[in-house]
Amino acid sequence: MTRMVQSMPGGDLPGTAPHRDGRSWMRLIDWIWTVRGELPLPAGQSADEAFARLDPFFREPGTSFDQAGRSLSFTKQDPLAQDKMSIYDRGELRVESQPGGGVLRYWMTSKSLLFCFLAPLMFIAFGQIIVGVGMLTKPDTEQADKKKKDEKEKVRELHWIDQMLGAPAPEKPKKDKKDEKKEDGGKDRFSPTSAYVFAGLFALLYVIGRILEDRLIRRRFLRSLTGG
Amino acid sequence: MNGVRVGNRIIGADSPVTIGWENVPRVEGGPFKRLFFTWFQPAVLFAMILFWYYAPNSIAKASTAIGIGIAFRAFLLALEWVNPRYKSWELTWKECVTDLFYVGLGYTLLRLVDNFISSEVLIENLLTSFNWDKLAFFTGLPLLVQAFLILFIFDFGQYWMHRGMHNWYPLWLTHSVHHYITQLNINKGAVGNPVELFLIGLGIGGLFDFLPRAALLAGAIGMSIGVYQHINVRFNTPAWWRYLFNTTEHHSLHHSQDFEASRSNYASNFIFIDRIFGTCVDGEAELLGMEGGRRMSIREQMTYPFTEAWKTLKEKFGKRHETTAVPAE
Repeated sequence: MTRMVQSMPGGDLPGTAPHRDGRSWMRLIDWIWTVRGELPLPAGQSADEAFARLDPFFREPGTSFDQAGRSLSFTKQDPLAQDKMSIYDRGELRVESQPGGGVLRYWMTSKSLLFCFLAPLMFIAFGQIIVGVGMLTKPDTEQADKKKKDEKEKVRELHWIDQMLGAPAPEKPKKDKKDEKKEDGGKDRFSPTSAYVFAGLFALLYVIGRILEDRLIRRRFLRSLTGG
Repeated sequence: MNGVRVGNRIIGADSPVTIGWENVPRVEGGPFKRLFFTWFQPAVLFAMILFWYYAPNSIAKASTAIGIGIAFRAFLLALEWVNPRYKSWELTWKECVTDLFYVGLGYTLLRLVDNFISSEVLIENLLTSFNWDKLAFFTGLPLLVQAFLILFIFDFGQYWMHRGMHNWYPLWLTHSVHHYITQLNINKGAVGNPVELFLIGLGIGGLFDFLPRAALLAGAIGMSIGVYQHINVRFNTPAWWRYLFNTTEHHSLHHSQDFEASRSNYASNFIFIDRIFGTCVDGEAELLGMEGGRRMSIREQMTYPFTEAWKTLKEKFGKRHETTAVPAE
């Protein structure tokens, strides 16, 4: 499923854009969804040799790439779950000559990282929607909770087998704080706590992913380039 | 690919599958590892039953069940690293984020919607409208019988809903999204289009009255059986267990890229329902998904049933703009 695509326009990698570049303000926020890095090439390794070693990364289903001279650009559409670069959607790799030897510079963007970064905001919004809906439906839930409370007050007995085996008998529920809270508009059915917990979870996952995926791709590229 | 004849069907003609327990690989390693992965599932089930049967009323609450459920899933996630069934199902960061997004939807927006249109609420409204009471005769039965009935009534309904989803195009459109998963992990059961997640949760359990402890027992038993449907852990599941209950093996066949294999093993917990109706196939598969294993993005998962329905309707009823080619003279 590999096909050739147009190379990315522009002389410099976005990661190396000068400060006066019109896109430089983007650098303030694009670290959220962009992974950049550079790796020294083994002594004497040419651009063609380096890209040949990295070739398997771009021979995955859903991946298109174009290698022209010292740069390679790629895009990915619905990559497989086990694709080693599955989080990236597009990017560019370039081999540059420096006094100390060749260097591979890469710049890759990820919608998955952006999604995970925005997910906490989304779940906070869900929490606010839940609270809002809870406030709007207060009269209905009061009636429903009252009916449930009447049902709960029925005292039931255990079957004789359960009594013999020693299972605790059902209690007549006491009027506790939870019940009082329920009577106050059935608010715990419209509690935003889960939404806020997930917002926190996604914030944590973003931090983990941003660090982990950066390191993983660096390690994988390095291993391929050195043949390790 | 020739496939294997199972009853009247040829399984595995489209994609490789393993048929028959004797052909399914066993847990490899030392005696402790083999012992652990042989008896883990039954030990957890019986421990759960004992806990919820005897727990004091002050502990036997829904909040305790939620806490145990989360802790148990976290433990199973660790087991996926220790003893994976397939390396090709390894949980990646991206898969973890996708799965948790759906788990989060289930705990937030879907739960909010369920407050208004779940089958429980609809039945409650029906009973109130006609001034009927719930059918209370089950409350006099032993706790474990009540728990089994709660699970069986739900599972039986879900079997036919699930089978319907695989046999009736409008329902299949909603369910197909779940079949685009390409690997099994502990939270993959939550992945699917929200319309399907609502439909699959429908049941008639709300018509019946049960003791709260029986409902908690049913929840715990259901979790201790059903949680293994989507998991990347290799177990030496005992023969009696896999005869009665759904297993990862059964469910991997259900998610196989092989069309015939995917039309088997519909029940959620009790695979004996499939055995009764002739849809059970014993075995496992590694290659999962649709369209040769194409992975669907979250955006597509959300819109797919609607875009596909629109395409189908347009094909069927839309105006044709075909130009007729006139041969040149």
